[in-house]
Parts: sequence; C-alpha cells; structure tokens
Amino acid sequence: MARIFWVTCPQCRDRFYCHRDELRGKGIPLLCPYCGHRFLDSESPQIEE
Amino acid sequence: MAKDFRQFLEQLERDSPLEVIRIKKPVDPAAFELTALLVHLERQGKFPVLLLEQPLNLKSERAPFHFASNLYALRQRCALALGLRPADWALPLSLEYARRETQVVAPVVIGRAEAPVQEVVRTGDAVDLRDLPIVRHHRMDPAPYIDMTPVMRDPEGGFYNVAFLRTMYQGPRRLGLHMSPRHNWQIQRKYEAGKRPTPVAIIVSHHPAFYLGALNVSAFGVDDYAKIGAIMGEPLRLTASQSFGDDLLVPADAELIIEGQIPPGVKEVEGPFGEFTGYYGPQRLRPVIEVTAITHRREAILQHVFVGHRDNWIIGGIPKEGSLFNVIKGVVPTVRAVHFALSGCCRFNCYVSIDKKVDGETKQAALAALGACDFVKNVIVVDADIDVFNERDVMWAVATRVQADRDVDIIKGVKGNTLDPSQTDDIMTAKMIVDATKPVRRAFPSRVEVPKEALETVRLQDYIPLEILERLSPAPEVSGRA
Repeated sequence: MARIFWVTCPQCRDRFYCHRDELRGKGIPLLCPYCGHRFLDSESPQIEE
Repeated sequence: MAKDFRQFLEQLERDSPLEVIRIKKPVDPAAFELTALLVHLERQGKFPVLLLEQPLNLKSERAPFHFASNLYALRQRCALALGLRPADWALPLSLEYARRETQVVAPVVIGRAEAPVQEVVRTGDAVDLRDLPIVRHHRMDPAPYIDMTPVMRDPEGGFYNVAFLRTMYQGPRRLGLHMSPRHNWQIQRKYEAGKRPTPVAIIVSHHPAFYLGALNVSAFGVDDYAKIGAIMGEPLRLTASQSFGDDLLVPADAELIIEGQIPPGVKEVEGPFGEFTGYYGPQRLRPVIEVTAITHRREAILQHVFVGHRDNWIIGGIPKEGSLFNVIKGVVPTVRAVHFALSGCCRFNCYVSIDKKVDGETKQAALAALGACDFVKNVIVVDADIDVFNERDVMWAVATRVQADRDVDIIKGVKGNTLDPSQTDDIMTAKMIVDATKPVRRAFPSRVEVPKEALETVRLQDYIPLEILERLSPAPEVSGRA
C-alpha cells in the first residue's frame, strides 16, 4: 500500500487515514468518514505519518 | 430461457431452503444493519444467503427491491452456480472453471424492448441513486458503496472488460470510482488521454456465474463478455445501453444497471474503504462517475459482496484457481490442483500441487502462477500427496519438506496490489516461492500410514457403540478444509 498519514477530524475528533502522496499538504479538503466534515490536513489537531 | 439471478435464487430456495433466509423486517443497509447481521452469523460460523424483503433506500424509505447478500460465502453455492453439485466444492469446481475458461462463447444481442433489465428505465432528472438500497459496510467507510462490476469498452480494441470495483455514493447522480492499475484502469486511461469521457455501466446484480466469469484472469484484450459466456455455459445476452446505444452494450438479463460516464480530468476524494485485505484502503483522489441512467427489472433483486470477508474472498479465489491451473498446466503438465486459501484472502497465498517428475518443475509452476496474476504474492508448491484444500496439510509439508535456506526464493520489485498494507511501494511488492516438495534425486522418508487392509477390516462400530460415536464431538480444528 502507498504511504499513508493518519489525520484527526477537527470537528468530531475521530481518526482516519489518507494517501500521503496524493493528499498530504496538497490543499485538497479531506472528507471525514464519520461526520462528513471537510477540512484541510493543516487544520487537523493531530497528524501521524 | 437465459440464466438470471432470480431463477438461481428460486432454485436455491427450493432445493436447499435453509440456504436462503428471508428477512421480513426492514433493514437499513446504509446504517450498517446488514453487515452487523452478517458479522453476527460469521462469528457463529454460519453463512446463509440473506434475502432482505424490505431493504431501506438511501432516503430511509422501503425500496421496491429485494436485496441479497452473502451469495458467495460458501464454495458449495458457487458450485451450484456453475451447475455442479455442492459436493464438488473443492477440486472439481476449480477444474470445471479451468475447463470452461479455455473457451469463449460469443454474446448475442437482443433488442431493448426484449431486455428484462430495461423493464424500468430512468434517465435525466428521474435518476436518483438515493432510490436504491446501498450498503455501508465498515465503520471507516465514509458513505454507502456499490461494490459490484463496472463494465467498460476499450476504445481501440472494442473489447469489453468487467471488473469488481468499488463505487462510493457521492450524490444523487454521482459516484466516486476506485481502480487499481489493471484492465479497466487501462481503458479509462486511454479515454482520459484523449480528453474524452469514459462510458461505463455498473452491473449491480446478475446470475452468480456472471460474476464468477467476470473474475477470469485473462490477458488484457480478451473480451470479458465472451469469457463470461463460457463460464455461464451459454451466450450472454446483451442489449444497447440507454445512454450510449450500441457503443456500450450491457447484459440484458441483469437485475439492475447503472449507466454513466467518467469525465476526464475530474477527481474527488474517495474512501477510506474496508477492502478485501481486511484493512481499509486510504482516502485518495479518484475519478467520478456522472450517472446518466438507471435501468432495472420490475421488483429487481439487488446484491452486493461483503468485501473483506468470506463472501468476497471465495468469489475471487475460484476463478484464479481455474485460470492458473490452465497456465501452470502449460509448463508443468502434471499439475494436480491450485487453491487460494481463505487465510490469504483467496488472493495472496496460492497453493499448487504437482506430481513432480524432475527437480525444477516446482519453480516453473510457481513462476507461471506469479506471472499470470499480480494478486499472487506467496506460492507454496507441494507434492500430489498433499491436499491443497487442507491448509494444515500444506503447512505440514512446509514444516517437514522445507529448508528455508534452500527452498525459499524471494523475488523483489514485482508488480503487486496497491491495497496490500505490507507493501511500502505503491505498486511494487516482493514475491515468495516456497518449494515444499520432496526431492526427486535423493532418497526421502515416507509418511506414516496404518495399513489399508486394517482400515478396511476394522470397523469402529464393531468396537464402540454407535450412540456413543454419534455423541462424540470432533475436535474443533478437524473441519479445516475451506
């Protein structure tokens, strides 16, 4: 699998992961799978990679 | 009469009533209610077909459809789908698939008016995916997903390719589409290069043999409709799609089809999605499908595959067993059996048995398997005395016939599967060959055995009363074949 990064949703605080090369620092809003909130990775309170 | 899904279900219910459990209460597949039922059953080791009589659609209304689940979770049912007996679930099923897979049966085209799948047609503003029951499978899935088979047509060769691909609900007329770099990806790439939209149709429900056929491991360029016909044992009936006419023919006897196009240059975030590996694939940027039509039979029976579980694993394994048997037979004619075990998601771990005549045939067989299918990651080759459908038997051969420094080969930098979490590269993986066969050129010990004559003359019931025998429980690991 490609390299991933775990991201925390700033709205519901739950975590999910994304494709690093395609979405890390690209300015593309991520979609929280739990609450549907869209946010930039820079807005995440915690990122693990 | 052409084969269709409702006919298959009716026969299954008639012949084996306990195989199909009708759920009369409303079930909301988008609220994990269906997959919760499936996991409860799975934990009890039970895998019936669930037929939802009142599935809710994405508007939380009772949809005018039925919904079938877990069709492929038992190899016995897959054997029935190919017209075999349930008892033929192991090697005979693989070999029958192998036999049919060498053939092609050209499809036939019928008029739209005769096509059952176009009894109800919705186009333009009448199209609304929320009218359908769609399953949300696992916790991290961001939306309901249709996980059945999009078909695309190659713009140069004109052949059709059908593949299981996940599509994420993104709006009433919009789906996100994930593709690994395989055949449909190749087709879509050609349209994309020409800045043209890719016509696509998702065959949401058809006869199980259709889906077993769709999973054939043929080379790019082989027409899947003709291959599916060979596996179904009859020509696949096609008709013109509503959106693209004769430029994209669709299966006439399907239960429901979603038509649409993939616009060039458009990508949206899609996923995560619980995948066949038992892990979530990450959220990615993926193409979208703009849905242009939904056509279906009246009172259509929809289906899905429970991805990441037996249902998904078994349907993927059987076609690979058949296809790889044929490929290996070309280089090692004494191949006896090929099996993709549940422990490897019926994708990654391939067990091959051969009646080895000369040293070196083992690697010939393993390399053929690795070359034919990029899913295959670990190949264990055993002798013909080992039952490849019994993983304990295979591991016994590994334990007693393998020296790791001599019998294990690693091949680095080979195309793998993008969803394998152990891969650190997006595409490339390492493959392993384990030669668990006995050597031909040196003396090797023999397996223990109680004489056949003794087994024939000594009968248990002559020594232990039948009522006691019947009350004895088998050890839990005894039914290890799967």
